[in-house]
Amino acid sequence: MDWVQLWEIVSLPDNLPIVFMIILIPFFMWYGFRQAFANDRLIGRLEADPALAKTHHRKVEPFREGWDPKVHVWPYLLRIELLAAIIVTVILMVWSIVLDAPLEEPANPNLTMNPAKAPWYFLGLQEMLVYFDPWIAGVVMPTLILMGLMAIPYADKNPLGNGYYTFRQRKFAISAFCFGFLVLWILMILIGTFIRGPGWMWFWPGETWDHHKLVFETNRNLVEIFGITAQPLAGIVGGAAVGLYFAIAGAVCHKLITWNAFTIRIYSQMTLTQYLIYQFFMTTMLALPVKILLRLLFRIKYVMVTPWFNI
Amino acid sequence: MVQYIKKLFRKLDDAPIPEKDPIVHSSLGMPLAISAFLLILSLIWAVYMETAGLRPWRAYQEEFGQLYQNALKKIRPQRAAEAGAIRNSEGYLTLQEELQQAETDVQSQLSTVEGEEQNIRERLAVLTKPFADARSELQATIYRWETVKSESVGERLSHEVEALRAKSFSFQFLDGDSVTYTYEELENTFNGLKNRQGELQAEKVSLLRRPTEMRSEMNAYMNDRLTGLTETQIDGLINKTETMGVFIRQIHNEEMNLVDRCESCHMGAREPVDLSADQMDGRSLFASHPRRDLLAIHDPETFGCTPCHNGNGIGTVSPVRAHGKYKHWLRPLYDKGNFEAGCIQCHRLDRHLEGAHTFNAAKDAFQHRGCMGCHAYEGFDTEPAQMREVHKNLQDLNADRITTQIAVERLLEKGDGAETNEEAHLAYTEATRVTQSIATIDADLARLNVRLDELLMERKRPGPNLKEVRNKLTKEWIPKWISNPQAFRPNTKMPQFRLKKAEIEAISAFLWQSGVNEPVASQPMGDAVSGKGLFDSKGCLACHSVGEEEDRLGGDFAANLSRVGEKTNYDYLVRWIHNPKERSLPYDPVLKHDVTREDYETRGLPFQFDPENNQSPLGNHSLQVQNSTVMPNLRLTWEESRDIGTYLAALKKETAPLPAAPFLEDTKLFERGRFLTRHYGCAGCHEIAGLEDEGKIGTDLTVEGSKPLERLDFALLTHEAKHDGWYNHKGFFERKLKKPAIYDQGKIKRDLEKLRMPDFHLDDKDVDQLTTFLLGSVESIVPPQFHNTPSGQRQDVQTGWDLVKKYNCMGCHQFTPGQSKTVMAELPFYGGSLAEKLPPSLVGQGARTNPEWLKRFLKNPALNSASPHRNGVRPYLDVRMPTFALSDNEVGTLARFFQALSKQPTPYIPPELAPLTNRERSMARELFTSNAAPCLRCHATGDEHTDPEKIAPNLSLVKARLKPDWTQRWLVHPEIIRPGTAMPSGLFRREGDRWVFSLANFRSFKGYTKDEAELVVRYMFEYTPEEQRRLTRGR
Repeated sequence: MDWVQLWEIVSLPDNLPIVFMIILIPFFMWYGFRQAFANDRLIGRLEADPALAKTHHRKVEPFREGWDPKVHVWPYLLRIELLAAIIVTVILMVWSIVLDAPLEEPANPNLTMNPAKAPWYFLGLQEMLVYFDPWIAGVVMPTLILMGLMAIPYADKNPLGNGYYTFRQRKFAISAFCFGFLVLWILMILIGTFIRGPGWMWFWPGETWDHHKLVFETNRNLVEIFGITAQPLAGIVGGAAVGLYFAIAGAVCHKLITWNAFTIRIYSQMTLTQYLIYQFFMTTMLALPVKILLRLLFRIKYVMVTPWFNI
Repeated sequence: MVQYIKKLFRKLDDAPIPEKDPIVHSSLGMPLAISAFLLILSLIWAVYMETAGLRPWRAYQEEFGQLYQNALKKIRPQRAAEAGAIRNSEGYLTLQEELQQAETDVQSQLSTVEGEEQNIRERLAVLTKPFADARSELQATIYRWETVKSESVGERLSHEVEALRAKSFSFQFLDGDSVTYTYEELENTFNGLKNRQGELQAEKVSLLRRPTEMRSEMNAYMNDRLTGLTETQIDGLINKTETMGVFIRQIHNEEMNLVDRCESCHMGAREPVDLSADQMDGRSLFASHPRRDLLAIHDPETFGCTPCHNGNGIGTVSPVRAHGKYKHWLRPLYDKGNFEAGCIQCHRLDRHLEGAHTFNAAKDAFQHRGCMGCHAYEGFDTEPAQMREVHKNLQDLNADRITTQIAVERLLEKGDGAETNEEAHLAYTEATRVTQSIATIDADLARLNVRLDELLMERKRPGPNLKEVRNKLTKEWIPKWISNPQAFRPNTKMPQFRLKKAEIEAISAFLWQSGVNEPVASQPMGDAVSGKGLFDSKGCLACHSVGEEEDRLGGDFAANLSRVGEKTNYDYLVRWIHNPKERSLPYDPVLKHDVTREDYETRGLPFQFDPENNQSPLGNHSLQVQNSTVMPNLRLTWEESRDIGTYLAALKKETAPLPAAPFLEDTKLFERGRFLTRHYGCAGCHEIAGLEDEGKIGTDLTVEGSKPLERLDFALLTHEAKHDGWYNHKGFFERKLKKPAIYDQGKIKRDLEKLRMPDFHLDDKDVDQLTTFLLGSVESIVPPQFHNTPSGQRQDVQTGWDLVKKYNCMGCHQFTPGQSKTVMAELPFYGGSLAEKLPPSLVGQGARTNPEWLKRFLKNPALNSASPHRNGVRPYLDVRMPTFALSDNEVGTLARFFQALSKQPTPYIPPELAPLTNRERSMARELFTSNAAPCLRCHATGDEHTDPEKIAPNLSLVKARLKPDWTQRWLVHPEIIRPGTAMPSGLFRREGDRWVFSLANFRSFKGYTKDEAELVVRYMFEYTPEEQRRLTRGR
């Protein structure tokens, strides 16, 4: 267990925000879910006792009679914000005094650093580059992420959960988002920061980053397993595999929103456009873990190979 | 604690709900107070860091001011004492009296002048402003008048001008005068006063001329005798320390992109007083820069600090950052032992710099150890590259020649087939012109061929010629030597290769079988006692040594001969001593093999090859007829060579016979041995049959110091290096030089992939010098116009040093006044000898000898091809100036070297000396044969019976050898030119403007009014052997 190596990575000024993130994200997740579960218990009690619903309608736990359901921004919110501002200022002051901005050696175009890592907000995409064709991982996916995020409000047919934390009433949305954000984004950032070392090779925490490490990882395309190498047959077979995936994934996604009576009631209100948008983005999002598993377990590089793009 | 955590994590709705809404009723007072307090603390911390924490130089500068003042106060008394002593000295007091006298002389005139000056000043004080105002008004009005377009306005303006001119001004002066002037009068008065003022100034200057001169004489007197500052200057410095501000001190040179702030902390570096760390309370930070002479040559305002010392010039935050000793600064400060590494990047073209001891030692170490056998380095071992270039030029020229010839033929054809006479004429003239250009090409070809021959002579290899092993060595010794050279000869140049037994056998077999088969003539035994005497006296020990460890005697330039008897064949040894350059077979560099006896005999040519007969029987090109060794020929007779050989052949340590080595004759090992020999790069240092043109197997080290750290292969030691702090160039080089295979440690490599660099068993001093050398071998950050590019004579000096170091001239001769004693002078055989019995000092050689003579001498020091077994200039010496077999180019380089060292004008044109009159001749003869100046008692005369006792050169050589102006200087003051010489001084004294013989009054000298020393010089330049015999006849 190379503690020095571990410390080197963790204490690198560039990585400090990521370390903070490791602490802050679980904290806020817990904070939010605690409130959500309390509210869910309240919802349960309200549903069980319709009489209570008349007076306790849309309250949030904890709540007591006589308490104002709403409070003024000034002073109550702002004084908390003042405290937060002071604390953030203190943290920033201490941080800037203790850690210098990294002014490294003069740029040498003949000597690239190893590993050459993207900034943290792109580490997820850089990780995707391991599994996907650069066109897909660098252009198509980021575009779809942005488009998808923009499309969510228009495709979201669930009217519940506005203004209060709840998990029960938005199970699907919250789970889908947590998967997409925590697993496919944050986890990738953590991997990119702490796990990926020289040569973008996998180094477990505490393993020394050795530039001379050699691994055996030869990958092959899906169609090569079946012995097909010539275009356009390879493209067609690959396309068929991709189509097969989308068919299966589409069915799975459909099942997700027809899981129980509650979800059916909500999502049966979707228009066709909304449904198609949902299907498209959800299946594409699920493609990521599927491709990652294919690569890690079966050493498959590309499923579909064409002269113009590979998937 | 557990309860608290449980409370934190219990469900929200399980917690008891408080009466009042916590959002509205909770007081944030405590958290706000704490965070506000923390904010204030962090603010204070930030301000502290900004003002002091990140600016340690502030504290340093204040400390310096205090310490400097204390040190100055301590120094002041002794400076005052010294300055006072000078002021009270006779000379100074005399000057002071003269000054006072001069001042009193001019006093009255001076006061008159000054009085008038004062008067004028007072008047001008009153007049100036009104006049200036009036003048500007007038001039402005005139301007308007000149530039106005309309006539009427012009009229009006002209009247205005007139009015202004006529305007009257009244003034009241301090001395009571009151006057009224019109403008015109005022102008005249003003100008007149101004002119008079100028005149008075000039008068004052001329009056004060003598006192000013006296003052500067007094200052000069003081400065010449002062060893430091005066107490007034010290007081000035003390004042400076009081008002010394605290600010960044930086040196900014835009051309070099240089910003050096080193002096912000190293405040004492350039102070006029020499400050040691002790004087500054133990703070070496404030000590002065040592070697002020270096600062005088390399003005810090131009060069700053970092070009020489490396480091981060712009850093001021902390010593670590300023010295660049952190990960991201690529040029950290050189450590104490490697200071002079910074010299190398600008002084690439210099081989020897006066005063740069580590620089010289580093370059010497690289050359002495033979590193250039494997590693290319610009400036070392340049002959092979030059040969390739010459070959290429020859090829190009030959191709040119052929094309030109074809062109000529075509032109002639064209002329023959021309239609008109004019065309034919044109073609023929063109053909003639082109034909003549062939002559130019031929001349170039001849010149290049000469150069090629020279290069074949000039190229020397660090190791001996291995083609001779069959004649030279005891064959069983070869594998013993290869496996561990240091065991046999501790200080040998040959390194130890990490070879397996099978590899050693294969290589030995290959070398043995590839040796030439031409036997060496057998020699009878000689007398070992006489041989030892010769060995000790002839000068062998200037390069070679005998004895081991504490008993070691002699130089370390060449091999230690303590055990040479165990390895060498007597016959070969004798031939070698007789002429080291002689080889058994010549080498044909074009056909690339040794030429055998048969090759000569089948073509009916005599089997003879030497520098005069170097044509190959196999083609129209030159052969390499000499061994590429620097060992010179001592011009010994065969008998002497046999004696020395017998003596040396008896030098053994182990007399037990070496283990048999039957594998040496095994032909199956030949191929493998050849492969391995090539693989390990043996041909880089040795001449080996079939491998003469092999390249160097090592990396080019010319800019090794600039190699990115990531490209230095620390291999499995990388993490240890980073952890222990030696992950930098210095750490890499030091460890590699100490043990080259260190970075192969732990690696699993096939034999042929392993590092080939052998172990040199260097001691720490060598490692330091070579590390300094490599650290300084960088791509310079200093722009090329600041590099030292010696030209003209300074370049001659450096190319000369290349040769001097190559042939180890300094083993016998002193070249510069600062050089420590030569190896020869330290030998016990010569201990206590007169300097005249040793090889002469060459300080001032260029001023002394005629360079044309010097070239002849260097080509053949015997100065006599008939009887070569002697010293040409000093036949009375036991020690022998050997024949170095220098090429004409090398001889010319050395002649120019000496000329340049003595700053002599080139080319040297011997001045015409007035011929002697008869009277002068008899005067000179009387002097020479007198008892007052018995010149021929010490100077050799060519008589074999008396010459061995003489201690000075034969005067017959003077005409060809010396320069007349030097000769005269030698005659009158030999003790200045060569302190400690046996040549008597005081032979002449100065009388007016001529030299006069001072030891006797010769009758024939009465009435002679010209310079007598010059007379003697002229006589000596007409001196002939007949004249010499005439002088000695009486004796």
